[in-house]
Amino acid sequence: MTSVSDAPCRVLVVWCPDWPDQDARAFEQVVTAVEGLCPRVEVLYPGACAVGARGPARYFGGEEALAARIADAVACHGFACRVGVADGMFAAQLAARAPRPGGVARVAVGGTGRAGRPEAPGAAVIVAPGEAPAFLAPHSVSSLGNQELADLLPRLGIRTLGDFAALSAAEAANRFGAQGALAHRLARGLDPRPLVPRPPSADLSVSTPFDPPVEQSEPVVFAAKALAERMHAGLAARGLACVRVQVQVICTDGQELTRLWRHDGLLSALAVAERVRWQLSGWQAVDSDADEGVQAGGITLLRLVPDQLVRNTGHQLGLWGDAVINDRVARAALRVQALLGHGSVVRPLLAGGRNPAEQVTLVPFGDAADPELPSGRPWPGRLPAPAPATVFPVPLPARVTDESGAAVTVSGRALVSAPPARLSAGLPAHGEPWLAITSWAGPWPVTERWWRPASTRRRAWFQLVAEDGSAWLATVQDGQWLIEASYD
Amino acid sequence: MLPVLPALHELLAGGLRRGSVVVTGSWGLLGLALAAGASAAGAWCAVVGLPQIGVAAAAGAGLDPGRMLLIADPGPGWPQVVASLLDGCELVLLRPPDRPSAQLRRRLEATVRRFGGVLVVAGDWDGAQTRLFVAHQEWVGIGAGHGRLRARRAQVVADGRGAAARPRARWLWLPGPDGSVTIADDASASREPFWPEIRSTG
Repeated sequence: MTSVSDAPCRVLVVWCPDWPDQDARAFEQVVTAVEGLCPRVEVLYPGACAVGARGPARYFGGEEALAARIADAVACHGFACRVGVADGMFAAQLAARAPRPGGVARVAVGGTGRAGRPEAPGAAVIVAPGEAPAFLAPHSVSSLGNQELADLLPRLGIRTLGDFAALSAAEAANRFGAQGALAHRLARGLDPRPLVPRPPSADLSVSTPFDPPVEQSEPVVFAAKALAERMHAGLAARGLACVRVQVQVICTDGQELTRLWRHDGLLSALAVAERVRWQLSGWQAVDSDADEGVQAGGITLLRLVPDQLVRNTGHQLGLWGDAVINDRVARAALRVQALLGHGSVVRPLLAGGRNPAEQVTLVPFGDAADPELPSGRPWPGRLPAPAPATVFPVPLPARVTDESGAAVTVSGRALVSAPPARLSAGLPAHGEPWLAITSWAGPWPVTERWWRPASTRRRAWFQLVAEDGSAWLATVQDGQWLIEASYD
Repeated sequence: MLPVLPALHELLAGGLRRGSVVVTGSWGLLGLALAAGASAAGAWCAVVGLPQIGVAAAAGAGLDPGRMLLIADPGPGWPQVVASLLDGCELVLLRPPDRPSAQLRRRLEATVRRFGGVLVVAGDWDGAQTRLFVAHQEWVGIGAGHGRLRARRAQVVADGRGAAARPRARWLWLPGPDGSVTIADDASASREPFWPEIRSTG
């Protein structure tokens, strides 16, 4: 199955450790720095980008020199990065993430001892041509990025990529299906799928002119979505799918701004529009003297060029799980994001946790994320139903006194000093400065994360009902009363 | 008509009329309960200017968190934000950051009619078709130092203009013991709790 044309090409991956998720704007500066040295940078995700290494390495006099120059260029912008060079994208990504003992790469590979070479201060890991399988062999199967296989393979006694690669391709395909066959190719240091031998003869790029030139990025993003749909229709008619898309924007002054984007899995029209928005806002961040939301000179043309075409093997939507976002909702949300910013439109995810504020994770529209605290765990001591309808983002300071007017306190043994009788909270809606408390319950002591001194928290919950019928969730922490939520 | 919870069926004469503005007094569970029926039936719901919305309570009342958009701070351009959202979402819950002028109100009402959505406003809105508020409320399950909040019996009153002019009142569990909103039978107005009472024996 392996032939000369099947061998992956040399790839250089630049990886910034601990990059904040979704911070595509700041990453634009890294990409620009890399682009200054080699053209056709492919953004894998915010935090990592890749270039074909063969041509630039020849120009700069070797892969070591190229890696050092790129690391220097990125460091000039104040970002720390790691560089890996190997055959194929997968091996190069692992090389970039490989640990660097003492800041210098010394990777002993598969007994040959020559694949990973000590490198200059840039601390690049360079896997020699043909050594990718040996480099990959000791890595855990979880690095394949396939959750199902990462669970299954260790239970079958296959813990490393080397063990997995030792299976025959036919056996892997038989036992683990199409996903397993792809993963097996990765484990053997091959590209995940055979490349399409030559680009199709027809031009599948699509473009939209803007006359008069557009100065806001918002209409361009709108156009991008319709354009992406046209591009996908053209691809689908030929049974192809694109793994990367090149977004070209041409300005009135003739300046051409181009970027390649990769999406893990197949790109949807909405995902393309999202990347166009990132790209435009990224340029605005770099071009800081331009007014916000305005491109210098305006945009006259937007073109989408599908890149790296593969046969469309089909993509089955999950029967359950993802709520399908229809086009109208997505358009409305995108328009509001264009007005207020990416993080201003959020979708709530129900999460675990004990108090009501923790039980929701807010995710910007268009991003994918997991709840901060996992739901579906027991969470002993969590607030029982019914949940409060109003949860204050910042708890309100309050005062609670007993009949005599003395502040109510809770002792270390969770005993309340006197029955709470009156409540005063800085609430604008409640004109009465003091409300009589008609019924109350508590205290329920909660000691959280005592094993971690930095985030440990010890408090007591109360439920209070005031004379006007309003019900409150209050906590006492360090002697201070706080109103966390209201049940109205 | 957008569907509503069975408990609100009688109060709202069958449902939320598309293109109308509904006012609930202050922000609370009542606003969430209004949106719950339509959300459960597949409508998208945008919540504007309410950073303090309790999503867990919303889910308990019947809203689907997967079809919610939250815009905590719409800023001074909030009418534009609301108009954009009405294009995509059938329900928009709004607490206006400032008091809208009569002209602005008429423009937004026209937008609501054009897209056939429903605008639920927490606060004042002159000229709303329907107005709902809680007239009386009473929490059960909690005593002086014992028990906990279990449920609230609330008398909800609906009035409005035109056909809805005659006020109607219903007793609801808002919320019930599991967070849902159901009708509280008038006959069950006795104070009998519907769970075994636990008393201290010490």
